[in-house]
Amino acid sequence: MELFLQVLITGIMVGGIYALVALGWTLIYKCSGVLNLAMGELVLIGAYTCLSFYLWGFPFWLAILITMTIGFVLGLLTERLFLDRLIGEPILTVIMVTVGLSFFFRGIVMFIWGTDTVVFSPPIFPAEPVNVGGIIIGQVYIWSFIAALVLLIVFVSFFQLTRWGLAMQATADQEKAALSLGISARFVYATAWGIAFIAAGVGGTLLGNINGLNISVGYLGLLVLPAVVLGGLNSIPGAIVGGIIIGVLQNLSGAYLDRFTPGGVKEIAPFIFMVIILLYKPYGLWGWERIERV
Amino acid sequence: MTFLPSGVYHENYRQDHAWWQTRFILYKMILLAFVLFYALPAWGGLYLIGVAILVIYTAMGALGVQLLIGFCGQVTLGHAAFLAVGAYTSTLLILQLQVPYLLSILIAGITAGLWSVLFGLPSAKVKGFYLIMTSLAAQFVTVDFILTQYVSQIGGRGQAFSLPPGSITIGPLAIDSDIKAYYLGVILTIILTAAVANLLRSRVGRAWIAIRDNDIAAETMGINIVKYKLLAFFVAGFIGGITGAYWVSTLAALSPEHFVWFWSLWLVGVILIGGVGSLYGVFFGSLFMVLILEALKFAIMPLLPYYPELSMKFLFLKEAAFGLAICLFLIFEPNGLAYRWWQIKNYFNLWPFSY
Repeated sequence: MELFLQVLITGIMVGGIYALVALGWTLIYKCSGVLNLAMGELVLIGAYTCLSFYLWGFPFWLAILITMTIGFVLGLLTERLFLDRLIGEPILTVIMVTVGLSFFFRGIVMFIWGTDTVVFSPPIFPAEPVNVGGIIIGQVYIWSFIAALVLLIVFVSFFQLTRWGLAMQATADQEKAALSLGISARFVYATAWGIAFIAAGVGGTLLGNINGLNISVGYLGLLVLPAVVLGGLNSIPGAIVGGIIIGVLQNLSGAYLDRFTPGGVKEIAPFIFMVIILLYKPYGLWGWERIERV
Repeated sequence: MTFLPSGVYHENYRQDHAWWQTRFILYKMILLAFVLFYALPAWGGLYLIGVAILVIYTAMGALGVQLLIGFCGQVTLGHAAFLAVGAYTSTLLILQLQVPYLLSILIAGITAGLWSVLFGLPSAKVKGFYLIMTSLAAQFVTVDFILTQYVSQIGGRGQAFSLPPGSITIGPLAIDSDIKAYYLGVILTIILTAAVANLLRSRVGRAWIAIRDNDIAAETMGINIVKYKLLAFFVAGFIGGITGAYWVSTLAALSPEHFVWFWSLWLVGVILIGGVGSLYGVFFGSLFMVLILEALKFAIMPLLPYYPELSMKFLFLKEAAFGLAICLFLIFEPNGLAYRWWQIKNYFNLWPFSY
């Protein structure tokens, strides 16, 4: 029981980070219909930028603010330079462009920062773990979860309360109607990419704080896919819940199934869950079901 | 220049679907066979043979992907998994059971085909992005989990199965040099390409193309789409397995690192650059991708004395260049090289008139 609670809590904490990145993914899909396979590289870019600024002596809050700004600009640029030209192209073309982008970004990240693991030093969050009713949690996890939660609330209120957020929702809902109301769809697409870069960058920074930063943090970009499939591709609450559930499932299977196999269950489990979800509930928890007509 | 648009008329269906519609095309094919079987190995030198093997391997792998994506419309981003299944089946059969290599290639193809059908099953229910997710799962479950954690333990050989020269033999002939592997590859590629091209002109191929164009419409026409989709998965997996088993013959040691996710994406990139839905596209794409990388290597060489760290970082540059190439191709040349080839051919067919 103790182990179960321990693993459950860790899973929820890590899941918060997944949820953040999944939110960025869903936003791009919801607004522009682009299935983005470059999410992991967005994570890497953000995380490495933040790390660089932190190591140059900037305080952490400033470093992360700069990262968010740079991420937003990069997102706008990416959309304008690559994705904007592909509006109306077949789905495979768009997916493969994001795959191409992921290689491009990853190559550049490795070219600039190398492949060795780097850590945030001095550590940002205190190292001694907290004991909550017998369950021991690292402070890094708690602070990361809180940070992810704060950012999630900020994003959700941005969509619900601001003019831009409402414009994005309108475009996602019914693009032609939104266009006729004077909303610039291209602006919405670009903003969606900008926000996705921000979410991914912060998610990467938090994850980099937990385990140190190397190229395998980009694996997060693939983990996001089971989360969004579980939540339904175009549902923002679905992405958040899906992210947390995938985090929990991943940690649970790591804790309970690893002893039956030579290892590696933790990395694979989310994908197996994804196939099972696809077989039984292909539109996820809250995704839109599409009825197709010839 | 094929002498077809005017002057040659087809009088029946058989002529219209003939392999070599005019003498001229037949001569071209003989020339191609001469180059492949004699000129390249005799005059090319070892370096060119090495490059050619890479092209052949890429083309064989991409052939299966082309069948799935280009002709049946089932997008896959995990084809390297089936290459890996083929390679491992063949290697294990040779090392554990001393099965002859050619037989092991065949068994590898069938195993990989069945494995591919297993991951193709969701295609009965989902399509598009969801199917891509399934193929992604195929990649990670097969290569990163089953092969790395379980299959690599068989026989206690450690993480990589070493294949000493001479362990792969066809009858009395040991495939121990690049030249021999090259010949084997050329023959296999020709057989596979001919098989796929023939399939595509048959009932099966037409059913696949109908499913690609619109699966619901195809179903209303009486095509059993589940059966044909799974058949496409089987054939693509079969080709993948044979490709993997062939790749074994060029290796000194087999390990899961040969079949990472990058390789799946690489194969899809090849057909996108070559042209989706065209058999020429497979070969144009593989030639282009492999040659570009070789050219990049040569371009970097003169810089090495000044920036020695570049040789370390070349891999990263290679990845970035590959990514950028895919993006730019898809944006500026969305129909691929095969379409450009068709345009050039048309231009010369009508030359000097523009219509």
